[in-house]
Amino acid sequence: MTRRETVTVVVAADGTVTAETHGVHGRACIDYIAVLEDLLDATTVSSAWTPDYHHARTRVETTATEAVPDVDRA
Amino acid sequence: MSVSLILIPAALAAAAVIQARAGGGGGASTVCTVSTRMRDSVLLSAALRETGAVVTAGDDVVDAAWQGVESRFTRGADGIWTAHFRGDVDESRAVEIVRRLDVAYGRQVQAAVVERLRDRALAAGLRLESETVADDAAVRLVFAVEREDRA
Repeated sequence: MTRRETVTVVVAADGTVTAETHGVHGRACIDYIAVLEDLLDATTVSSAWTPDYHHARTRVETTATEAVPDVDRA
Repeated sequence: MSVSLILIPAALAAAAVIQARAGGGGGASTVCTVSTRMRDSVLLSAALRETGAVVTAGDDVVDAAWQGVESRFTRGADGIWTAHFRGDVDESRAVEIVRRLDVAYGRQVQAAVVERLRDRALAAGLRLESETVADDAAVRLVFAVEREDRA
């Protein structure tokens, strides 16, 4: 049975962004840090493995403060 | 009454600081610094409009007018904004205006980030499955991973 992979992104009212992957195996979820940084033109300020990291789950926090100036409004 | 504020991006300041820098001696002019996250002139203009201001915007100069109060925001070469308030305003009111503006700016940041995610996620292999708004106004987006070679 194929594991379902999702990324949950929460954008707070102050613009801060947190993201968490689900169903992504081990360190593969690190790739999503780069994906989200690229999507948001943001810089990750902290990240941490959740306790069930070995069951393929991680947590990433980034900040929209760094993302905003590069938001493409064209 | 005239008040000038220097707006320092929060990334450059460890904590919010409000500090009178010069009184001018005559009591009619005050300069103080306020920590803020504001950097983008378009988002700043949108935030000003959210506070009820009439806005005239350029890249590095933004003029705003409220009832009885006018302000000019000027961005220096270092990226730091200076806000100069004129009219029925003292230092405490000017700082309070900037505080409200900072909150409004945060909401503009949130809207811009959510819009960007909606527009660009699919190209990154992420399909938007759901979008909900929490009691604290946070927007939660759940994306399904479309391409296995992404992870």
